[in-house]
This record gives sequence, C-alpha cells and structure tokens, in this order.
Amino acid sequence: MTVSATAPTPGPDGFSPFAHLTVQNTALYRQVMRAFVMAKEHFAVHLRPEDVYAALPGEVRPAELDGVVKALDKLVGWGNLRADPDTGRVSAVEDFYRKRFIYQLTRAGEAAEEALAAYDEALGRRGALQAIALHDIVTQLRALLVLTADEQPDPGKTYLAFDALASRFAALADNARAFMGSLQRTIDLHEVEEAVFLAYKDRLIQYLERFIQDLITLGGRIAQLILELEESGRIEVLLRAAAGREAADAAPEEAESAAQEAYAHWAGRWDGLAAWFLTRNGRESQARLLRGRALGAIPQMLAVVRVLGERRAGRSDRSADFRTLARWFAEAADDASRHRLWRAAFGLHPARHLTIDADTLAARVTAPVPASTPWAAAAPLRISPQLRRTGSYERRGKPRKVEDRQERRRHLAEVAAKQVAEIAAARARLVTDGAVRLSELGEFDPVSFGLFLQLLGDALATWRPGMRHTVATSNDGSMEIRLSALAEGTTAQIRTPSGTFHGPDHLIEIVDLTDGDVLTHGEGER
Amino acid sequence: MTTPLAEVLDGQHAAELRKAARALLKQPLLLSHGKHAQEFRLVRRHASELREWFDRNTGWPLHVDAETARLRKIPGVLHDSTHPACDATRAAAPFTRRRYVLLCLALAALERGEAQIALGRLADQVVLDATDPGLVASGIQFTLDRRDERLDLAAVVRLLLGLGVLRRVAGDEDAYVNGAGDVLYDVERRALAGLLATRRGPSTVQAEATADRLAQLVAETALDSDDLRFRAMRQTLTRRLLDDPVLYYDELSDAELSYLTRQRGFLTARVAELTGLVPEIRAEGIAMVDPEDDLTDVRMPEQGTHGHITLLLAEYLAGAGRPVTTDQLARRVRELAAVHGTFWAKAAREPGTEAELVEQAVARLAALGLVSRTADGAEPRPALARYAVGEPLVLEAGKVRLPAQRKARQA
Repeated sequence: MTVSATAPTPGPDGFSPFAHLTVQNTALYRQVMRAFVMAKEHFAVHLRPEDVYAALPGEVRPAELDGVVKALDKLVGWGNLRADPDTGRVSAVEDFYRKRFIYQLTRAGEAAEEALAAYDEALGRRGALQAIALHDIVTQLRALLVLTADEQPDPGKTYLAFDALASRFAALADNARAFMGSLQRTIDLHEVEEAVFLAYKDRLIQYLERFIQDLITLGGRIAQLILELEESGRIEVLLRAAAGREAADAAPEEAESAAQEAYAHWAGRWDGLAAWFLTRNGRESQARLLRGRALGAIPQMLAVVRVLGERRAGRSDRSADFRTLARWFAEAADDASRHRLWRAAFGLHPARHLTIDADTLAARVTAPVPASTPWAAAAPLRISPQLRRTGSYERRGKPRKVEDRQERRRHLAEVAAKQVAEIAAARARLVTDGAVRLSELGEFDPVSFGLFLQLLGDALATWRPGMRHTVATSNDGSMEIRLSALAEGTTAQIRTPSGTFHGPDHLIEIVDLTDGDVLTHGEGER
Repeated sequence: MTTPLAEVLDGQHAAELRKAARALLKQPLLLSHGKHAQEFRLVRRHASELREWFDRNTGWPLHVDAETARLRKIPGVLHDSTHPACDATRAAAPFTRRRYVLLCLALAALERGEAQIALGRLADQVVLDATDPGLVASGIQFTLDRRDERLDLAAVVRLLLGLGVLRRVAGDEDAYVNGAGDVLYDVERRALAGLLATRRGPSTVQAEATADRLAQLVAETALDSDDLRFRAMRQTLTRRLLDDPVLYYDELSDAELSYLTRQRGFLTARVAELTGLVPEIRAEGIAMVDPEDDLTDVRMPEQGTHGHITLLLAEYLAGAGRPVTTDQLARRVRELAAVHGTFWAKAAREPGTEAELVEQAVARLAALGLVSRTADGAEPRPALARYAVGEPLVLEAGKVRLPAQRKARQA
C-alpha cells in the first residue's frame, strides 16, 4: 500500500493532502476528489475541469465552471492533484485564451482518498453478516478434503485453499464483530429518527432471516467438514504443506524456524476456525453465539418499534397542547369555567342519569304517561318510606342478633346431643353377645343399620379369596367386627324400616372397643 | 328462521353490548388491566359495533387497542360546569385553579418524558414549566416547597393514578408531601396519549375568550349541507341524551326542537336499545332514566346524611314551585334536623353547618338538572317534580319510637 512517506513535500505539511477536510467547502473538495477516484476506477487518468464539473452532484456543483477550476487549483496547491497544461483542441475562442490544464491524482492525493475511504467505511459500516462468506468457506473446506486424498498434497493448491479460507474467515469474523456492535448501537439508539429506523428495520429483519437460515444450514455443514478433516488425521499434513510453501521464500539459514513458525501460525488459525463453528471444551462456538445474538436482535428491535409506536400514538405537539391548557386554566375567570374547560378538553366525565325504581317502572308500563304531561302532573317517583324517613334503606342495629345466635347454637347443641345419643344407642344395639349368625341379628333401626353396614364394609374390605375368618376395626377405632364364613351357604335377612337386607349368612361378633367393660364381659381377645 | 338457540345467543350478544356501552359511558378511558379489565374485554370484543354506533350517532371516536379503550366524548353542551375533575379521596373535592394548572403541566412533562418518572423529578419539571411567560402573566407560580403545594401535586398524581396514566412502582405520595421521600411511577403512554378528547389541539387554537376557546376545541368540520346539519343535530341531541340527566326543550334552538319533535321516538329508542336507559318523556323535556341505577356519578335518591337531606330539600323545593333563597333552605334544614336529625351524622346536626349542607344539596340537584342556581338560592326545574312526595309519612315518624342507637352512614 502506498504511504505518504513518499509525498512530494515531506515535513511539517506532510499531511497537506488532508487540508481540504478542515477548510470551507469541504463537501465540494471531497466530491471533486471523488470524481477523480471514480475516473481512476474506470481507468481514466486525466480529467478536464468540464469533466469534473459534469461529474459533480447537483448540491455541491458551483454555478460557474470557474468555481470548479478554483477548487482544482486549491487541490493542486495541497498536493492532492497535479495539473498539466492541456494541449487538446478547443472549440471556443475564450477557451483558447484561458490557461488550460488537465488534472490527475497525485500519489499523495490517492493515498489520502484511500485513507478517507477506509475511515468512512469503518465508521459507516453497519456491520453486514456475510452469508456469501459461509458458502466460500464450505467450498474451500471441500477443496481441502479433496486434497487430503492425495498421498503428497500439492503445496501450492493447499496453500491457496488455506489462504482463501483464512481471508474469507477473517472477513466473516470482522463483519460479525461489526455487526454485533452496530446491532447494539441500533437498539440502544432510542433517539433514532423514526423513518431511518423503520427503513433499517425492514432490511435488518430480512437480512437476519436469511443469515440465520444460512448459519444454521451452512454452519452445520462447515462443522461437519471440519470434523471430517480432523478425523482423517491428514489436516496436519495439509497445514505443514501450506506452511512449507509459505516458508519457501525464507532465507536459507532461517528455513527451519520459518517453517515451524508458519506451521504454528496456520495451526492457530485452523483452531480459530474450528472454534468458530464447533462447540469445544465447554466453550460455545462463535457461530452459535452469533445465531443467538441475531435471534435476540429481533425482539429487541421490536421493543424499539414499540417505543416509536408509542411516540407516534402521542402527537408530537401534545406537550405544547398541555402547556396551552395549563395557561387557559390559569386564565379562566372562575372555577365554573375551569370545570367546563376540563369537561370539554378531556371528556373523562361519566354519564349522569336520574334513576327509576322497578315499582315505578312497572306502574308506568301498566299506565303509560302521555308525552305531553308536565312533570308536575305525572305521578312522582316512589320513594321508599324507610329511605325518606331515615336516609337509608335497611334497618340498623338489631339487638336480637345475639339472641338469634344463642338459639341457633342451642339448636345445634341439641342436634349434636341427639346424634350422639342415637349413635350410642345404635352401638349398644349392634354389640353382640358373643358370636351370632347374621340371620339371628333381627331388626335394625336406620341409624344402627347404617353403622352396621359400615362395619360390614370394613370387614369385607379385608376379605381375600380363600379366607374363612376376618377381623376388622371400624374407621374411628371404636368398634371391632369379627366375621366367619359358614359352610352351609344359607341366606341371612336383616329387616330395616326401609327394606330388607339379604346376603350369605355369616357368623358375626361385634365388640365396642370404647367400652372397657365389654372386653371383660364378652369373650374378650381373639 | 330463528331457532331458540339463535335467540339466546342474540340476547346474550345484546346484553354484552349493553354492558360494554354502559362501561364506556361511565368510564370513557378503560385499561386492559386493573379493576376495569373485565369491562375492557367486553368493549374490545364489541369494539367495531360500538365504534360504528358512537361514530354515527354521537360523532364520538372510539379508539381501542390492546391496552386501552377510549371514547373521546365531546359534551352535548359546553356551559355545564357540574362535571369538575375531583380528588381521588373520599371527600372528592373539585379541583382548584392551581390543581388544574398543575395537572396540565404534569401532563406536559410526562408527555416529553421517559417511560418512568419520579415524583420529585416531575415536580422539578413542573416548576420549570411554570416559568412560562403566559403562566407568570396570569399570576400563578409554583415552587412546590410548601406542604400545601405538594398536597396539590399529590392530588394531581392520584387523579392520574386513578386514570391509569401512572402506575406506582415504589414509595407513596404521603411521604412526598411530608418531604420524607419520593415516589416512582411507570408512565402508561397509551393512556396518556388518549387523554385529550378535543377535535383540535389546544395549541392550535388562537381564541382569547374562554367560551370561544371551548367552542373551537370541539368544533367539527364546517357544515354545508342539510344532511350534515341534520347529522350534527342528531349527534348533539344524542350526546345529551346519553350523557346528561335531563334534556329540557327550552334549552334547544328552534331547529333542534323541531328536529327532536320529529325524531324523538327514533332517537330515544336508539339510546334505549344500546344502553337500557328508559325515556321519560314529559311536556318540558326528556330524561333518560336508568332502571339499573348505576350509569351515573351523582345518585338521587341516595342513602346517607347528604343524600337524605338532598331528598328532603328536593321535596321542599318541588312543593314550593318557585325560587327559594339559601336562607330559606337553611331554615328548612334546621326544621328537618328536628325531625330526622337522629338519623344524621353527628357533624350534620351541629348548628351552623346548615349553609354547607344546603350548598351540597343544591350542587347535587343542579348537577342532576333538577334545579338551577339563582343569585341567592335555587330555582326548581320541571323534572324536580319527580321527587314531590306527600307529607303523611312524616306524621307517622313522629309517633314511632325509634331505637336511639344507630349511626347514620356518611354520604
């Protein structure tokens, strides 16, 4: 790359080709220089002032050609351009008398433009993710894979493949870094211009979609290829071949160390590439991080969109509106006009209506009031006498409340006592004097029968096939039932007021465990 | 063709629509969260139907998005001053000049601000904005370092909290008022954006007189055809039927009156269909009365001391049938206290409170369009006759021994 060390006038003004950036009319100078750079891209070396004039964009173009000539001469003075006498034909007399030159870029001027272009690019770069780079990487990896097939890989081809791979990868990594940075910048910019942002948003989302897709599909393939290359064990041979090729130019005495160095260098790059696409040693691959970042960018961007939407939901002059209203409220003559202003400006008041009760309404339905009746002649609203007298609908302070509760409590107590007595009686009724047959139990009242059924259920729940005898305790642990099957297969009947209970006859014994006496007086233990 | 199922569904739909419409009329700004979430969902479900109805019949735009529903109501009449902004406290005192100004300055600051704000910061910005030459010229200034000024700001903030423009994150206003702390809020931008209901931004209105300003704020496009004129009339009349307790014929212009006379049945039926209000049509005007008794912010009759006194004074005024002075009303309150005083709050029985009680009752009756204020008292308006109740019950009350202990509920 050319450097300004060889500029025509080195010394304190060594950087005079940059002088046009800090004077008036910078925009014009830069556009003029740009015209030369463009021309050079098209392999045109010299430009006449007319050519430059025509190439300038409208907003910086001076009204007269003279303006351009002056600018060109200034640039010549700073060393950006070189002027040579123009020996071409002219077609007008005044042109002939004018001192005519053709201009071309000096080396210093060219270097300055290159520097400025790099500067612009670095600052202006929004960070683009290169999906193309991914494709290229796949291609180069494939080429490497083909090379591993040879016993002695061609050093030239290997080197070129590695070199291309390295440069594409470096570009990808750079761009990814810039991309992450610019993404963050975009998202953090809460003060962005709305139109700019919206335009950018659409592009970014499209772009992200495509890139994420590529990253997922190609990223996987790249990882696969890297693994294949590494597993073939030939990657080292390839790296050495490339390193050997690179070191070939080294001076003879350094040949050995140069090859070593080059190899270390290439091996490091290879590891970097692998780490980019493969998750290793617990470190997530860069590609995965990038993917996560790109995906995460979308909701973040939506948040910015929401902020913008909210901002748009409020008109831009709303704040001025409120300040105006503040002044009006301050200037209003009295509270009444302020209340009116409040109602008209904010419209937050609830609707307000008179009420009508169901009785009055029903009366009106049966006897409609003609529309021409004055209010005074129509029947008035029915106001509850209670409300009219006391100002409230319900009675307050009922002293009997306490009595009510006592009565209810007493009632509850009575009910409870009655139930206890009934259950005690039922228990007493159930307890058998030793083992009896079911068929001998006779008649039960409903409470005893309910209790009996529960006990029987508890006993039968323990009944297993082949058992002849079982013992069970009721759920509350107050009674025990012993049940033995009978061989003869007769049927037992128990009569109750609500029907007759039928079932195979059993030998049954029921013991009240709460009653200490029973144990001693019945046949006690099993 | 209608099957019973279809009828049931229709009925359900109509009931939901009515509920949604009533919710919007009662609370023109509904938020998707908080205590009105259910109403909001109803409104959202029926948004398109409601929007069309309000747009055609009242010209009120209905805006519904995922977080807010806002019916931008324009009042049918601009001269009604009985709808003040009120404190969010129980006393519900109407806003003062300082509070209105503070409210607008606070809103201006919120509008410019970020998604969160601290009360202290808000106060700083308000103080800064109050140095606006227009405000200074009107003789108002804020420093917000005195306690009563901070109380004003706290009242403003509570109103905004009630509207859902602010949501409290940490701290409380009392601490700020006492100078002991600060409060942090989230700003609900959508609610904030929907606050103004005017057709024009106030900053674009140049008029100097308050009445002109009001008229310009709500001015619709110029009316240049009969159709549009009729539509404007229909909308104004429907606005009044929907929003105001009584529509008196003597307040209408000739054109409006003749339009209303021709379209009365149609207009009232449309309102009744949407809201369930029942038209009470009399020789002097129309009242859309509410059988459900909740589509209102001022109730009559109402329980409690003040409601009771209002009811009794309404009877008195209706019986008088002519303008009555404040003194006469105060005397009447004293007489009533002798009969009914035992049911009233203790404070209402103290001598010397009559003037205040009369003022409250008259304000309530005026808000309901039942009386109009005169220079020294109140004049009954026709609809007050609804509350003309005979005397016999009072005699009975004298005979009955009432239990001595009960505390009348506060209004």
